[in-house]
Amino acid sequence: MTTRKKPEVWKKDSSFCPGCGHGIVIRLIAELIEEMGVKSRELHAVGCACNLNGCWNDPQLQCPHGRAAAVAVGAKACEPDDLVFTYQGDGDAYVIGLSETMNAGYRGNITSIIINNNNFGMTGGQMSWTTLPGQTTTTSKKGRDALKEGEPFKGPELLSQFENVKFAARGAVYNPAEVNKTKALIKKAFELQMSGEGYGVVEVLCGCPTNWKMSPVDSNKWIEDAVTRYYGLGIIKDETAKILKEAI
Amino acid sequence: MKEIIFAGFGGQGVLTGGLILSFMAAEKDLETTWMPAYGATMRGGKANCVVKMGEVGGERIGNPLMGHADALIAMNEPSLDYLGKTKKGAVVIVNSHGVDENYEYPSDKKVYKVDSVELAEKVSNEQGQNLVMLGAMMKVTELYPKDEAIDLMCKFFASKGKEKYNEKNIAAFLAGYDAV
Amino acid sequence: MAKELLKGNEALAEAALRGGCTFYSGYPITPQTEVMEYLSDRMPEIGRTFIQAESEIAAISQVMGAAWTGEKALTSSSGPGVSLKQEGISYIAHNNFPCVILNVCRWGNGLGSLDSAQTDYNRETRGGGQGDYRCIVMAPASIQEGVDMMYDAYDVAEEYHNPVVILTEAMLGQMIEGVNLPEFKPVKKLGLIRPYGRAGKDYMEKYAVHYNRMVDELERWESIQTEDADYVLVAFGMPSRVCTDVVSILRGKGEKVGLIRPINLWPFPFKAFEGIRPKAFITVETNETGQLVDDVAIAAKKSGAGDVPVYCLATHHECADEEAVLDYFEKVKSGSVKERY
Repeated sequence: MTTRKKPEVWKKDSSFCPGCGHGIVIRLIAELIEEMGVKSRELHAVGCACNLNGCWNDPQLQCPHGRAAAVAVGAKACEPDDLVFTYQGDGDAYVIGLSETMNAGYRGNITSIIINNNNFGMTGGQMSWTTLPGQTTTTSKKGRDALKEGEPFKGPELLSQFENVKFAARGAVYNPAEVNKTKALIKKAFELQMSGEGYGVVEVLCGCPTNWKMSPVDSNKWIEDAVTRYYGLGIIKDETAKILKEAI
Repeated sequence: MKEIIFAGFGGQGVLTGGLILSFMAAEKDLETTWMPAYGATMRGGKANCVVKMGEVGGERIGNPLMGHADALIAMNEPSLDYLGKTKKGAVVIVNSHGVDENYEYPSDKKVYKVDSVELAEKVSNEQGQNLVMLGAMMKVTELYPKDEAIDLMCKFFASKGKEKYNEKNIAAFLAGYDAV
Repeated sequence: MAKELLKGNEALAEAALRGGCTFYSGYPITPQTEVMEYLSDRMPEIGRTFIQAESEIAAISQVMGAAWTGEKALTSSSGPGVSLKQEGISYIAHNNFPCVILNVCRWGNGLGSLDSAQTDYNRETRGGGQGDYRCIVMAPASIQEGVDMMYDAYDVAEEYHNPVVILTEAMLGQMIEGVNLPEFKPVKKLGLIRPYGRAGKDYMEKYAVHYNRMVDELERWESIQTEDADYVLVAFGMPSRVCTDVVSILRGKGEKVGLIRPINLWPFPFKAFEGIRPKAFITVETNETGQLVDDVAIAAKKSGAGDVPVYCLATHHECADEEAVLDYFEKVKSGSVKERY
């Protein structure tokens, strides 16, 4: 067993719920920033990512709901040497911020880390575009009716259509093996950005025990058994091999 | 303060015609405004601009809008709608090619008819109809002496990188100047 | 040297660059589009960053991102586009990021029209977005004044760590006047980001101090013959030019008339009203309901002239001409129109 040192960029403990995947993902990001030795710029908007406020030692900015990717494009244009990434939930990035996310993918050189927990966590578990068919939420009490309310929304798959998107992947954090794989995916997306060659997105499936009204263990099991059936894990698009090789 | 309205259809060079007047004033260190019609007022291809210029250095121009013009250059009939925006005794230079010859003008205006199409063609400068009108207006109003006006006009086109047309443009200006 | 003849929109765009603007993001809308068209090639030419955004929302977001890094950022739009930017402006104000927003105002609610107007006065002077903040609002009456304002706008925005709105009008954007363009200022990134903090209990307390400093230090106006005036016109932007002429005309007829022309709309120039007690104040505004008139009534009360009636000539979507103002003046004098306050 290896013990991991708390990364310097991590300023103070966040206030995510017990069993929430957010804490794991942001830890992975913090470790990567330290390992890569880069200056980061963290942008989040509205939703559970707000719990990061005041937790980051590098420059951090809270943006209007959904707009983090557009703010990041502006910041990256001015500080091209910084690692500029958005840390957003599915509601923020795919629902209210769909336009900004797509346009950042279309022509930006930033990284989007998007936490997909199938619902709007911060406001108490409403239906999101990522909610599974039949899944109950506070605004789909009888279970999501996909015919009326839409099929689960696949952000990285959609983004991967753009020429500028060089890396799109989906990870999960329901067991240690997936945590390690997810870290590798995020690392690739970050390295891509630092090479200056395009946009990368990593979506991470996370549990929301509080709003799902499950134990953390049951949440993880549900992700593995049910959520991954709709949202396949792994790399969706990867054109980094050539880019990163050339960059070295 | 002098006020001149330059009006016609889009493409007849009325905006440029007005701009030359503003340029002349600016070159003489006079305050000047050039206000184009835009938005609703320019629908239907109607174009116009109103130029105001101080007569002595430092004379501030308040309202840049059309109101009490000393001269109206009307390159088509709809432009005569602006007769109401001209002063008593104002000079009106009318393109006779574009306006009914029986048009009834108010008796308090000094109307000069110039066939800008024919005159421009005569000097092989079809694009220069606005300059024909400008030449005619310059003579009637005596705004600037002929040679000075021509020099300033050439300087204007030079500032736009179009000095190679100066000879043709002078010909158009003179065609109008000599027609009234 | 003779002044350069420049279109208002292009002159202000160039003045922004000379004043240090290093970043622009915007979305086309008439009658402002020349600003971004001009900057689209001019900025890369001098090594600055231009982005055509996908929306006004993205544009103000990108401005926020750029301001966060210390750049001098600009966006421009007109009525409906500036509405979309309000959320972002609120965030920018909350973060105490300096930046400049140019509103080339067109008439109307909803989509409105392309006519020149002053219908956005209330929105710009009251903050516009959620929360409790103000933007510093400057309103030029000529292209030269707009150029000078824009040239200094980043100094003001950075001094007060606050967004600056320059409110011009479609006519000022579209017309041409002679202009002296100032020299380029040396460009340096803002070092101090967010001096008042943002979240936290003491933020609003700090903001109150910050707010009071702006109020104390940023009143700007021009007074024309107000000392002995029986009637004081109040107007900014295009109508103020007309009113300047009206003052000359009426003074020529022996009428004691003056003009207060607010140059900064926020903070409102209350000091301009000190020590004058005319028979009436008359605002001249290009809108429907009268907006400036409310501030003039407050100014009258504040200066001890609370019992002086305040009239409003609101001329819809056309700037008043001299005749309209003269006509209204006669009506005020004869008592055939009713005061607003």
